Amino acid sequence: MNDTGKAKRALSRREFFKMAGIGTGAAVAASSLQPAKVANAAAAPYTDPAGRPARPWWVKTVDQPTTEIDWAKMKRYSERYIEEEGSGTVRGDGFAGYLGAEEAERLIKQGNDKMKQRLVDNVDGYTLKDHAMSAGQSATSVARSFLGPQKAKTPEERGVPKWSGTPAEGARILRTALRHMGASTIGFVELDENTRKLIYSIDPDGKILEFTDEPIASETETHRYIPNSCKYVIVYTVQMSEEAMKRSPTMTASQTTTGAYSRGAQIAAGTQEFLRTLGYQGLSEASTNALGIAPAFGVLAGLGEMSRLNRMITPEFGPMVRVFKMLTDLPVEPDKPINAGIMDFCRSCKKCAEACPSGALSFESEPYWETKGGWNNAGHKAWFEDATKCRTYWVSEAGTNCGICFGVCPFSKKDKAWIHEWVKAGTSAAPFLASFFRSMDDAFGYGVQKSGEDWWNLDQPEYGVDSMSVVKG
Amino acid sequence: LKRPWYEWVLWAVWFLVEIFVLQNAIASGAELEPRAASIFWMTFVVLLGGV
Repeated sequence: MNDTGKAKRALSRREFFKMAGIGTGAAVAASSLQPAKVANAAAAPYTDPAGRPARPWWVKTVDQPTTEIDWAKMKRYSERYIEEEGSGTVRGDGFAGYLGAEEAERLIKQGNDKMKQRLVDNVDGYTLKDHAMSAGQSATSVARSFLGPQKAKTPEERGVPKWSGTPAEGARILRTALRHMGASTIGFVELDENTRKLIYSIDPDGKILEFTDEPIASETETHRYIPNSCKYVIVYTVQMSEEAMKRSPTMTASQTTTGAYSRGAQIAAGTQEFLRTLGYQGLSEASTNALGIAPAFGVLAGLGEMSRLNRMITPEFGPMVRVFKMLTDLPVEPDKPINAGIMDFCRSCKKCAEACPSGALSFESEPYWETKGGWNNAGHKAWFEDATKCRTYWVSEAGTNCGICFGVCPFSKKDKAWIHEWVKAGTSAAPFLASFFRSMDDAFGYGVQKSGEDWWNLDQPEYGVDSMSVVKG
Repeated sequence: LKRPWYEWVLWAVWFLVEIFVLQNAIASGAELEPRAASIFWMTFVVLLGGV
């Protein structure tokens, strides 16, 4: 190495700054690739007074939900079939109500026979261990009740005044409590003359839900009385396992639904006792899917948007959640709806409708006001589904709840790969790319049905879900 | 070292794209999405083109 060589290899100041600039630029660009994925592994203080989680930039808060609502046309919905009107849910008595008793009986028998045969034949996803898993998930539930366990001591019994704080503080402590009990995302809605219409007129067990000026909630053989003071709705989601749901329609898949409902019931009872201890009331679902329209409350609470599934899709977990609600008189700061481009994406995607074996889901590009039957609730613009077709497939073919539409949805991702966040951001910022993203989703093999047997060989996290994904905002 | 600035920028872009593709390839494997993982891995190898 001679002097000339040394001189030639010495960097000029300009070259040094050029290299440093490019290096810095590369580092900044690399770190900005995934702004919403910096894991907050250690618990950090809330940045929002009401405890709202930080969300990616493409999840925008809006004044009106992306679902158009005509409150004047909306009526309180009966979650029990009303024979005289031919309306109400397709669940329970509704199945026979809409299809006729004989046809319903025939379909139920057909489904039961198929389930027995699959079990005997050891069909993938319907084996004895899959049945055992489902039974186990059912057993983890606790009794649901409108008024709650009522075993915890009240502030009066403890000799202290009831808890008091601002609505933002109320929202924050509830978010902390529910998250620790297992809820994924939590939002709040304040009931007014319009949003009251989202509380059922009749619960699944036939009891009438009635608002009253009485300060304390009560229940009789025929009625559940809701005090007007209980005007705050706590809405929360519980995650389902996306990996299990990819086995739809099998017992392997349906057990994650059962498990999420069980955890939802546990959280409900826990929250009711939490509120009682603070000196407030918590009025919950007396049975599965009781009290009010869960997706509607979820949308108004900013937890997600309505979709072609006619269910709520969340920005964090796609449709892989169950949604629960509870009324309280603890003042909480309500949330606003969101626009994350989900409804826009559904306009051109149609992947769920193509995958639905019963043809229950709509292929219309735009949502519509006209309902498909008495099982739908008029007064909002939606991709109303034919619930009798869906239910018939559940009962007579799948033998269990289905979930194919959840499994194939492009929003159902584990969110480990950076590409998913980019696509969701792209969908929100540039809706015209939705068709391209849908095509890519197919090309990359997402949403294909997986083997039930393989599921048993996976080393999975607790409940099969990523509990960290909501604190990565 | 004396190449024009745009050449440096092009190499920086190539490097960042490779990082992005590599992350997606590894994460898609962790997501149990074999087809997506293989597409990302193939893209990574083809880019590694990097003239």
